[in-house]
Amino acid sequence: MIIVKNLSKRYHNHHGSKWVLKDVNFTIPSNVSVGLIGGNGAGKSTLLRIISGMDSPDKGEVIRECKVSWPIGLSGGFQGSMTGRQNVKFVARVHGCDDIGALISKVQSFAEIGESFDEPVKTYSSGMKSRLAFGLSLAFDFDVFLSDEATSVGDQAFRKKASDTFKSKVGESSIIIVSHAEDILRELCSAGIWLKEGQAIWFDDINTAIDEYNVYSGIPPIEVRRELRRAARRNKL
Amino acid sequence: MSDRMAWFWILAEPAAMVLIMIVIRTVILGRNTHIAGAEYIPWFIVGLFGFYLFRENMMRLLNAITANKALFAYRQVKPIDTVLVRSCLESLIRTVVFIIFIVLGGVIGFGLIPEEPIMAIGYWLLLWVLGLGVGLIGSVVSVLVPEIGRVIKIMSFPLLMVSGVLFPINYLPYELQQYLLFNPIVHGIELLRSAFFDSYKVLPNVSVLYLSLWNLSLLLIGLVLHIKFELKLKAK
Repeated sequence: MIIVKNLSKRYHNHHGSKWVLKDVNFTIPSNVSVGLIGGNGAGKSTLLRIISGMDSPDKGEVIRECKVSWPIGLSGGFQGSMTGRQNVKFVARVHGCDDIGALISKVQSFAEIGESFDEPVKTYSSGMKSRLAFGLSLAFDFDVFLSDEATSVGDQAFRKKASDTFKSKVGESSIIIVSHAEDILRELCSAGIWLKEGQAIWFDDINTAIDEYNVYSGIPPIEVRRELRRAARRNKL
Repeated sequence: MSDRMAWFWILAEPAAMVLIMIVIRTVILGRNTHIAGAEYIPWFIVGLFGFYLFRENMMRLLNAITANKALFAYRQVKPIDTVLVRSCLESLIRTVVFIIFIVLGGVIGFGLIPEEPIMAIGYWLLLWVLGLGVGLIGSVVSVLVPEIGRVIKIMSFPLLMVSGVLFPINYLPYELQQYLLFNPIVHGIELLRSAFFDSYKVLPNVSVLYLSLWNLSLLLIGLVLHIKFELKLKAK
């Protein structure tokens, strides 16, 4: 269970300071996967970082009654001049892992990046980085995994593998995802949180959350979009 | 390739510095300038390495936090960890290089073996802590105010000049000496030399206590800064 209480966060910039999150309250029950949605700059990544403990709120608190992963994302998590293997070793040691050798081979076989595993991480493509990041976090037994657009850069095969792995973990662990990819959210999450003007709106059903968000931002619902696409194809023919 | 060159330069840089100073000394100053109780070359090498130990800590720790920013994704990793690890690594490298020079010097016949090894190790550690103290402060300050990081980098050469590495400070007038003795690096280097050369005449007023007080104060300020600004350093 993760309890977010009266959480507020602001960033200072040249024009003063703007509240990104203002008095946000919600509780994520155990084993409920949640999708975080909202426009660019709505504070999704910020919220995820605060939940992970990587960043700290200006007001309020986050109570974590379970093992929460670090935010698995596009950037960060790796020291660029060390190899993939060295990074994995480092993270394993930081988390007090007992059998580092087993963990390394687990990550290596999941990431499937071949010989690059022994090359410096700064030579990796973004897809390779996300493969490694995902493999690394999945090698630990976290109760809640945090993913910040981590799935969006992998190729089809890897995306499928990642979501299959998560599905196989349903019941023992859950995931909190920040993503703009609706299909991933609908596939992996059951509940949704819409971040709107510094407030968090909780939805028990991710589909309702996405639909309402789309209506709000003027995007037609998914059925209409499918219909439009079909119509466009017909016109071309 | 770049890794191999890095190791080469770690050894070549001080070697080149020593060669240049020997040339300057024999050509410009002549051979008769005398240091009481020590040969010039070993005297200079000990001072130079003592200074390098301090300088590498001061300079390399400036970028420790920004270079390892990505690792703050793990909440177990704190900014100070990156600084401490880097300090240990740099100091270890400097120690190994110094030992290589001591052994090489012994083979060639410079007499670089310390006459009081335990004291030499102690003063070496004191110089390390001095660099660590400055580095701890610098690592925080240079992230918060990048301009100060630049100023610290610029200060490296002037510090070399006023730390009594290149020429003995007791060549200078007494009044000037008193000002230079405010600099704790001078104390560290002179003490290190005194452990290496038994008959070396140390500057008057050089004191372990003074150096240690500097060390303690710098460490304290550095640690306080790290506690105070931990969250800011992570977020930057």
